[in-house]
Amino acid sequence: MSVFLLNVLLAIAWSALTGDFSPLNLGFGFVLAYGVLWLLTRKSSSRSYFLQIPRVIEFVFFFAWDVFKANVRMAITILSPQMRLRPAVVMVPLDMKNEIGIILLSNLITLTPGTLSLDISSDRKALFIHTLWVEDEEKFRAEIKSGYERRVKEIIEA
Amino acid sequence: MAREIVVMSLFLVGAFLMFLAGLGLLRMPDLFLRMSATSKAGSLGAGLVLLGAVVFFQDWGITARALATIVFLFLTAPVAAHMIGRAAYFDGVPLWKGTVRDDLRGHYKLSTHRLETQATPPDDKESIDAVVQRIDDH
Amino acid sequence: MINTLFILILALLTAGFIAAFIRLVRGPYLPDRVVALDLISILVMGFIVVYAVRFNQAAYLDVAIILALITFLGTVAFAYYLERRA
Repeated sequence: MSVFLLNVLLAIAWSALTGDFSPLNLGFGFVLAYGVLWLLTRKSSSRSYFLQIPRVIEFVFFFAWDVFKANVRMAITILSPQMRLRPAVVMVPLDMKNEIGIILLSNLITLTPGTLSLDISSDRKALFIHTLWVEDEEKFRAEIKSGYERRVKEIIEA
Repeated sequence: MAREIVVMSLFLVGAFLMFLAGLGLLRMPDLFLRMSATSKAGSLGAGLVLLGAVVFFQDWGITARALATIVFLFLTAPVAAHMIGRAAYFDGVPLWKGTVRDDLRGHYKLSTHRLETQATPPDDKESIDAVVQRIDDH
Repeated sequence: MINTLFILILALLTAGFIAAFIRLVRGPYLPDRVVALDLISILVMGFIVVYAVRFNQAAYLDVAIILALITFLGTVAFAYYLERRA
């Protein structure tokens, strides 16, 4: 986290020194500072930041692709004359303890069409998900746990 | 010209998604399925339309505001869906008769509005089932 | 060409608006109507943004942004009172 703050600080310093605070120049400063920090911390212990950024980028692409797929499926369902639905409310037990991670996870699940996170149990141990189409609850649970929970956990707890 | 093409395609896809959200809202058989359709197709559509405006105006002030709005939409849509879904469940809105499984059944405590991981038996006064019929055909 | 596309976009939004409005009238439960109102305000936001681009008026965008903020508050308030009622 402190590496991230240092990165932001260096980006601001870059903008101040070049006298141009436009977002483009700030972004360029950020990328530049990222590269410099990467070189500087190569032998030190604070490497987790550089492992995390590629993970976040990978997650964004994974999520965007999932949203796209699910939206196409949703469009087909809504437009077909005979809607093929097999809805269910499924309880998915959570391994994650981190509250921010749980909130992030439930938000992401709601944003992929077809699944809607309805509620989190008061003891934060289970998530209740409504889904449009379920064939096998165990498979659905495994998909949520290995696809989303694992990735969110990697980002939050790294 | 290239800019117009990008703006128009973003608008078209966004408007189509919002149209799908409306159609889904109309055609889906129960509240939870309807929310599935609106909370994401709606916000994704609105996000794409706003992105179209960002590409069209190409102004940093507008870009910053529009991007903030998109982030806000994506943060709030799930919260709103969760709050309405929860309130509707307490209010006794039934699930569609084709629903194959309802794990929420009996998990809410009526007196405290807490959600337990262990189900309360349906004959218990604390269980919502004592008050409303969850899945009926209408 | 551009004009035809704008008409198509507005037609799509209008169709969505009509569908949401039918749901608003039909219900059958109060939460259904709340969801319908939520979608209607998102559609209105879409209309405003499309008009802002159509007439090259960036100032209209602020209305859309405020609308997005207020809609969320309205929905949360609705949900809060709905749960209190139950």
